[in-house]
Amino acid sequence: MTPIVLALNLALSFAGLAALALSLDRHHRDAFLTRAPTNRARSLRWTGWGAILLSLAASIALDGWNFGPVQWIGALTGAALLVVALLSYRPGWLRPAALAALPLALLALPFALRG
Amino acid sequence: MRQGFRQSMAWLHTWSGLVVGWVLFAVFVTGTATYYRAEISEWMRPELQAGASIESGRAADLAADYLKAKAPDAQGWFIGLPQPEKPLIELHWWKDLVSPMQHALLDPRTGAPTQARDTQGGDFLYRFHFELNMPPLWGRWIVGICAMILLVALVSGIITHRRIFADFFTFRRHKSAQRGWLDAHNVTGVLALPFHLMIAYTGIVTLAPMYVPWGITAAFDGDAPRFFVEAGLSPEVRAPAGKPGGLVSLAPLVAAAEARVSEPLEHVAVYNPGDAAATIVAIFEERKGLAHLHPQIAFDGATGAELGATGAVRPATHISTAFVGLHEAHFAGPALRALFFLCGLMGAAAIASGLVLWSVARLPKADERPGFGFRLVRALNVGAVAGLPVGLAAYFLANRLLPVGLAGRADIEVRIFFGAWAMIALAGLLRPHLRAWRESLGLASLLFLAIPVVSALTTGAHPFDGEARFLGFDAAMLATGLLLAFAAYEAGRARPQRRAVQADPAAEPARIPAPRPAGTPQKRNAALPQARRSA
Repeated sequence: MTPIVLALNLALSFAGLAALALSLDRHHRDAFLTRAPTNRARSLRWTGWGAILLSLAASIALDGWNFGPVQWIGALTGAALLVVALLSYRPGWLRPAALAALPLALLALPFALRG
Repeated sequence: MRQGFRQSMAWLHTWSGLVVGWVLFAVFVTGTATYYRAEISEWMRPELQAGASIESGRAADLAADYLKAKAPDAQGWFIGLPQPEKPLIELHWWKDLVSPMQHALLDPRTGAPTQARDTQGGDFLYRFHFELNMPPLWGRWIVGICAMILLVALVSGIITHRRIFADFFTFRRHKSAQRGWLDAHNVTGVLALPFHLMIAYTGIVTLAPMYVPWGITAAFDGDAPRFFVEAGLSPEVRAPAGKPGGLVSLAPLVAAAEARVSEPLEHVAVYNPGDAAATIVAIFEERKGLAHLHPQIAFDGATGAELGATGAVRPATHISTAFVGLHEAHFAGPALRALFFLCGLMGAAAIASGLVLWSVARLPKADERPGFGFRLVRALNVGAVAGLPVGLAAYFLANRLLPVGLAGRADIEVRIFFGAWAMIALAGLLRPHLRAWRESLGLASLLFLAIPVVSALTTGAHPFDGEARFLGFDAAMLATGLLLAFAAYEAGRARPQRRAVQADPAAEPARIPAPRPAGTPQKRNAALPQARRSA
C-alpha cells in the first residue's frame, strides 16, 4: 500500500491501456492518422493485456489479496481516465507517454520490492 | 405492445436515473468530500493546533467529570478521545432513544468547552451524504431507496449503453452536443464502473439492518443488540440495575485497555452511567485490513472489572464489515485515497452528464415550444449540479467570515449552505438556461477561488507566513475553482440548442449510430470551432 506500489500500478496500467486503445483503429487513427496494421494491432493488444495482468500480479504480490485487487482497480480507473483525456485533447502524446511509463514502472519495481 | 429487451432497459435506465439523479449527485459530491472529512474539520477549526500529545486517560476523566455534572442521568455517554489530527474531546450523550442526541466539544487540556469556533466541520458533509440533513430515519430511507434505484440504473445502463466497452476510450467532444454528453456519461460511468457498483452496493449494506430488519427481528425476538453481540460486533452491555451507583475513574481502565490492544483508542462509551450496573466500553480504531471492525473491551462501571471483549469474527461478519470498510476506505493511504476521491468525482460527473444528456436528447425542434417537464428538468439540473458547489463554497466561506463567538454559529453555517444552494436553484428557474449555467458555475468558481484568500486574511495563517497547515486544503479549493471556471467557460461557448435534424424524439440516446470517421485524417484543432458552431 505504499505510494511506490501504486505508482508502479499506475504506470503499468497506463501503458497497458494506452496499448489497448492504440490497437483500436479509431484511436490509432487519432494518434497516427492511419489505421493500425493487423499485426501491429495484435501485438499492441497482447502488450496491453500483458501489462494489465502484470500490474494485477504485482499488486497482489506486493500488497496481498486484501488490498492488491482494490489497489489494482483503483489504478486502472485512474490510468484509463488519463488515456481518455489524452486521446481527446492531445492524441499525439499518448504513444510517448506510454513509452515513458514503461521504464518508469521498471524503475519503480526494485523500490517496490524493497519497501 | 412488444418492446425489445434493450429498449425496455433504456426506458428503465433513463427514468430511474432522472428520478434519483438530483439527490444522488448531492450524495456523491458530499460523500466524496467525506474521504477528506478529517482534513475539512481541521481546516474549519483553525484555532486548534494539531499534533500536541494528549494523554487519553486524563482526557477520559475530564470528559466524565463534565458529563457527571451535565448529564448524570443519561442513558449513555459517548466520549471521542483526542487524536493527533483532532485535538478535541468530542462528547455525545442521550437521555433516552427518543430525545435528540446532545453534543459538546471540550478542550483536552482543561476539560472546559473548547474555544475553537463552533462548526459542524466535515461531519456535516458526512451526515448529509446519508441523511440529507433530515430527521435521521427519513434521510436514511430516502438515500437508501435512491441507492437501490442507482443499482437498477447501473445495471440497466450497462445493457442500454451497449457500446460502452467498444467505445471504452472514446470521448468525442466536438461531434455534437448530444454525442459529447453521451460519451462523457459513458466514459465516467464505465471507467469507474467497479467503483460505482461497489459504492452503491456497500452503501446499502452499511444500513442493511435498518432497511431489512425483519431477519434480525425474527431470529432474536426483536432484541437487535443481541444480534450485534452474537455477530461479534460489540461486547455485551448489561441492563440497568435500577438503583444508583458510583462510576469508577476512567483513566486506569483506559490504561488497561490500551495495554491490551495495539490500535489507538478512539472512543469510550458509558452505558447507564448513574446506575449500579453501568458498563464502560473501550472502542479502538479498526485493525489494519479491509474490514471495518473496531476492537472493543467492556468493563464493569462500578468495579472496573473486565466484562468481555470482541474477538475473532466469523466469515459472515467479516464479509459484511469488509463491505463497510470498502465503502469508507479508511484503510487507504494518501495515494489510494486520492484515487477513491477521483472515482467519487467520476460518479458525480456520470450522474450530472446523464442529467444533462436527458435534456439534450429531448431538445425541442426549431418550431416547437419547450414543454413544462423539459423546462423543469433543465432548471433542476442547474439547481442541483451548479447549486451544490455554490452551497459548499458558501459553507466554507461562512466558516471564515462569521464572527467566531456568534451564538448558534454552526447552525448558521448550515443555513448559509442551504440558502446559497436554494438561491442558485431559483436562478435556474428564472434565468435563460445557458446563462443560468454560465452564471452559477462562474459564481461557484469565484467563491472557491476566494476561499484561500479569505482564509488567509481572516486567520492570518497562510503559506507566505510560513504556515503550511492548510496548503493541501487551499490547493484543493483552487483546483476546484479552476475546474468550475473551465466548466463556466465551456458553458459560455455553447450556443442555444435546437435540434436541427428530423431526429425521432423517441430515440434513446444510446441508439444513435456511432459515426465512423471518414477516410481522411481529421484536422482536429483547426476544425474545432466550426464543428462546435454547427453542432
